[in-house]
Amino acid sequence: MSGATTTTSPFRALRDQLDAAAQAFADAPDAVSEILSGMVDDVDRALAERLEIFPVCHHSPASALAMARRLREKRPKVVYLELCEDLRDLLPELRNCRLPVALQAFASDLDGFSPGAGPLSVVAPITEASAEYQAIAYALDTPGVELVLVDRSVDHVFQWDPAYSGDPDERPAEGAGDDDGDGAAMHGGAVGIEIGDLRPRFAELEEHLLHHGKVRHWSEWWDQYVEQPLAGADYDTYRQVMVMIGSLFRRLSPARAERIAVDEDRERYMWTRIREHLAATGTDPAEGMYVCGAFHAASRVEEFGVQPRSEGFEITPRTATTWLYGLIPSSHAAIEAQFGLAGGSVSISAATWRKHVSAGGVAPFRLKGQKGTPAGKAGRNSRAAAATVGPAPVADRLSGFLASPPTMDPLDEAELLGWCVDIVRLARRNGYPASTADAIAVYETSVLLAGMRNRARPTPYDFQDAAVTCIEKDTVPGRRDVRRLCEILLGGDRIGEVGYDALPPLARDVYDRLEALGVDLKKRRVQRVLMDLREQPELEPCSRLLWRLRRLLPQGAVRPITGALGLGERSIQESWDLSIGHHQRALIELGYEGVTVEQVLEQRLRAAAWDPKAGAAAALEAVEESILLLDNRRLTDELGRRAVELLAAERAVDDAPEVLRRFRRLLGHYRATEPRLPAWCASFVTTGFAHYCTMLPTSFATEETGIRQVAAMLGFLLTLENTALALGCERTQLELAVKQSHPEEPAKVALLWAAQTRLGVLSRAELRARCAELLGNPLVVPAFPHYLSGFVQALSPVPGLAPFVVEVMSDAFARLPDRVLLPWLPMLITTLREHAREMVPVLLREAGRTFPARLPELDAWTPPWARPEGEPAVAASPAVAVPAGPLTDLLTAHPASSDAVARLLGVEPVWPAVEADVSAPAHPEAAALLERHPAPAAALAALLAAPPLGA
Amino acid sequence: MSDEMLRATAEVKYADELEYLESVDDAPKPFSWRLSPKMVRLFILGSEPSDGLDREIPQKWFGDRTFVERSIVTLASDRGLLLIGDPGTGKSWLAELLSAAICRDSTLVVQGTAGTTEDHIKYSWNVSMVIAKGQTRESMIPSPIMTAMEKGAIGRFEELTRSTSDVQDALISILSEKYVSIPELDDDNIVYAKPGFSIIATANSRDKGVNDLSAALKRRFNFVRIPVVTSRRSEAEIVRFRTTELLRRHRIELDVPPTLLDILLQSFGDLRTAAASAKSDDEKLESALSTAEQIGVLEDAILHSHFFGDRTLRAQTLAGSLVGSLARRNPEDLSILNKFWHGVVEPRSKSDGGEWTDFLEGGKQAIESLS
Repeated sequence: MSGATTTTSPFRALRDQLDAAAQAFADAPDAVSEILSGMVDDVDRALAERLEIFPVCHHSPASALAMARRLREKRPKVVYLELCEDLRDLLPELRNCRLPVALQAFASDLDGFSPGAGPLSVVAPITEASAEYQAIAYALDTPGVELVLVDRSVDHVFQWDPAYSGDPDERPAEGAGDDDGDGAAMHGGAVGIEIGDLRPRFAELEEHLLHHGKVRHWSEWWDQYVEQPLAGADYDTYRQVMVMIGSLFRRLSPARAERIAVDEDRERYMWTRIREHLAATGTDPAEGMYVCGAFHAASRVEEFGVQPRSEGFEITPRTATTWLYGLIPSSHAAIEAQFGLAGGSVSISAATWRKHVSAGGVAPFRLKGQKGTPAGKAGRNSRAAAATVGPAPVADRLSGFLASPPTMDPLDEAELLGWCVDIVRLARRNGYPASTADAIAVYETSVLLAGMRNRARPTPYDFQDAAVTCIEKDTVPGRRDVRRLCEILLGGDRIGEVGYDALPPLARDVYDRLEALGVDLKKRRVQRVLMDLREQPELEPCSRLLWRLRRLLPQGAVRPITGALGLGERSIQESWDLSIGHHQRALIELGYEGVTVEQVLEQRLRAAAWDPKAGAAAALEAVEESILLLDNRRLTDELGRRAVELLAAERAVDDAPEVLRRFRRLLGHYRATEPRLPAWCASFVTTGFAHYCTMLPTSFATEETGIRQVAAMLGFLLTLENTALALGCERTQLELAVKQSHPEEPAKVALLWAAQTRLGVLSRAELRARCAELLGNPLVVPAFPHYLSGFVQALSPVPGLAPFVVEVMSDAFARLPDRVLLPWLPMLITTLREHAREMVPVLLREAGRTFPARLPELDAWTPPWARPEGEPAVAASPAVAVPAGPLTDLLTAHPASSDAVARLLGVEPVWPAVEADVSAPAHPEAAALLERHPAPAAALAALLAAPPLGA
Repeated sequence: MSDEMLRATAEVKYADELEYLESVDDAPKPFSWRLSPKMVRLFILGSEPSDGLDREIPQKWFGDRTFVERSIVTLASDRGLLLIGDPGTGKSWLAELLSAAICRDSTLVVQGTAGTTEDHIKYSWNVSMVIAKGQTRESMIPSPIMTAMEKGAIGRFEELTRSTSDVQDALISILSEKYVSIPELDDDNIVYAKPGFSIIATANSRDKGVNDLSAALKRRFNFVRIPVVTSRRSEAEIVRFRTTELLRRHRIELDVPPTLLDILLQSFGDLRTAAASAKSDDEKLESALSTAEQIGVLEDAILHSHFFGDRTLRAQTLAGSLVGSLARRNPEDLSILNKFWHGVVEPRSKSDGGEWTDFLEGGKQAIESLS
């Protein structure tokens, strides 16, 4: 088809007129003339096409109104729609939802894309006030009508995007909108696609249009210059004007832009699919309708049309990536955020649509069973598509549209008055001291502003400006300012909901299993649930599911208020704050990962443990979660084995404290609940013993390894020593490792001394002497606090050292000068705070035992370590003489067994002297008693001495 | 007439434009306005070819179009206009332009200070005439606001929040009842406002909390908040526009090279970023770093080059002016500038070269001489 308008074209006169205007006024008439006449040619071409092209713009009530009117008039038998072809199966599910919702395609297992590109997600939001919804509702509910989606598949969306198929660094940052307000982040980090994207392609043009249109943003421009004039226009005018605008933006887009190339490929794709369908079904093009963005209606590709100049376009195959499809709730705010529209513009479009529908101008189509309040009385869709009206002969409506000023709606006084009264009421409720006088002022200002902006009728934007001018003062009294209140008044954000039947199996399963709780989980507000698991044991499965969901869903979706789940810890009463309705998208996206929550959780745990960056601590965490949440022994063991593997492969000991903490907890759990340790646990102990023994000397020596890490390693080696030895490890390995350690840092030196004391290499007395030496040496005194820090850290691996730590610390406080002590104190306090759970109780208990409990006793108190040698300690000496007696006799007669036990316990047996005075009574108290009361004993003796009765 | 004044008022300076616009304005005008609201907007924001005028009207105030529209519409309504914003955002200039366009008189101004009394807002007496003739209308001195009422013009109240609350409240009856009664006189003792009277007040948002407006007065004003210019392009326009005006006023023929203007804008932008991230007042400059301050720096540099230099604006001179204008506290401001010069300007001069190198040197010398 040639670019020039033919002599018979109805647009010939307009083309000539524009040509002449360009010649007369423009600086470069040829270029302008080409653009202007080219636009007329584009309109001519689109309208001459045998398959009726219906140009649309996204979120345009005018498009939706024209669509509803045209569908009722023409009743096409096939509707071709610019939407990813693989989303077709989702469309019938729309009737189970409350709009707006978004069609979503999701892929996490990628095959054919650059590594690290996933997960990929695409959303296509659908609102009720859109032309595409009208087309979908008509096609799905009218017998004999076929709906064909013709745009490239979602796989091609990413295939054709160099950012995803090429260098991962060029990829746009995902989830950028996540920090926005409540509703704005509903689409997460998905890539948005929409039908009828119509906006200038370069910033200068948009800026120019806004500047000359005297409006602030694109939505306002569109509303004033296209939406309002077209809302009541006839079909021909609508079609011609939309194609013309599409053509204008197309012709003024930057040359050689990649985006244009993709758009042209999409057009080739769509026309190829349309022709394939026409050929396969034998449909007459006159009975069909092709719904596409106005930008694509003005296409100039060779493959355009039912009978194109070229048919050479080859559709590339999809990659092997598996795509999952579903519906997620959307919201006006999310659509605005995703597509860069002005805040509130989608809500304003929805309000405009409702107004036109309720005015009775058109009967909209609506899917049967669609949730939500209908905008107006829906027309009957079910009449079979019989009366197909072919496109009327094309007549030039553009000339009239372009030559006359836009005809506006007459001033809708009642509507504006209603807004003014309502905004004042809303403002008052939000803390503004607004009054009726303000309502009058807002009304007056709106009308004046509209007049100043060449509008016959104040638009919502004028009203918003007027309300801000008259009501907003220097401060905002509440949470919302007047601009936000206006947005709420003009429709507010509408949040969609995906109905039960349209949910993936996992989400349905969750709703079913939580039904026993007796709350409506679809509600978006937070709901409190109380569970007494002793009284209602049947709620136990619900509780377990909630704990699993807490692990999987974003924060706030399910939140425990009371009740805890930990190793060895299970509450019998729980209360939860549930907000699953609010987080429905997250639940639905969970459905893409598996069929049940348990399956997804298992996958997540496996993924966490097998992550290339995961360490032993991460695997142990997965083990713990598996015990708590899944109760799946096979998985737990598998994760445990993975932890062993990871520990053996670790080349750094940064995670040692975390590994020790988690493993100790798991060990405690197994010892309490099972007769013997699982195999992986035993293996972890032996592997850990060998691993940390190997790493110990290096860790002591290198500066990079912190004191906490070394303390944790020692903690593992010394506290699990017995278990390790029982499992076949050699103590000598540990002894050698300690012997090979030569730290230089004072803290680590102290730690090593503590370890040596524990292993018996260094006696307590020697340790005490070393510390005294340090304190006595004025050159070392400034470093003494570091030694002390080392001893504090040693409390965890060598708890028996607690009395000594208390002693050293008391000494330090007594002897260190303030200039050394004071700077160190904050460090000590922060260290103790950090390890409050492990160290502080030990230290406090020991201090309580050492220091006097009352203040008066302090004066006479001498610390145990300060008592002179030989003074008896408070406790009785084990070597004190014991009175003789049958027990003493027995033990002294057979000392071998006692000696053996003592040696086994590591104590040298010393036998106390037995009192040698044999004349003295063995038990003087008994002898004294008998002396005082001799009668019973005498009677007994007499009884024993008397002859038997029978004798 | 404008040639004899140090600073001509807007209605004098743009008298030709205003005459022209009035002659072509056939749209309906509210009250006694000399121009229709659309023409007022056009006068302030400049014309476009699409407006179909024979001559071009330059833009005089740079900022969001909505603020101007909201201000004009407020003046056409029953309420007063209160322009509120940070210092140097062009509130007073906008007020002056609005009054000039609407009633050709922007001089009916009351300056709000701590010493402003109710007499300054209503009327006072010529004491010698009172002694000679008694209290009559002749011996009364009407305030600029009362004059505006009598003429049906726009009265201006600058820095409203600097005056005390009881003085501010004198405006309540003027804005509500639109008349001022003079109880000292027996007859002819009420001055009624003529149609077209309104008040434009300005308030500095940094004075918030000093003398807060009463709720009753707030209700009688529409607030239009003028934000600080953040767009670099708009700021460049403002600086260029005001500097040209200053050069004309001083009758100086001197070119401001665009590269130097860029350096100035970039430096202010960097200093603002630094001030925004400062944690205490000691870490940021005392200056508000407003657009007006930039114009001051540029003016200073131009005058210096003109009178003491070789009549060419050089980067060293600009750097010296910048340091001289911004270093108000010693050592706080100087040390911040020292840090800025070494941490930001130096790397920039290495990467960009050109005028930045001279700018770096000039700044270092200025800091050294002040330290």
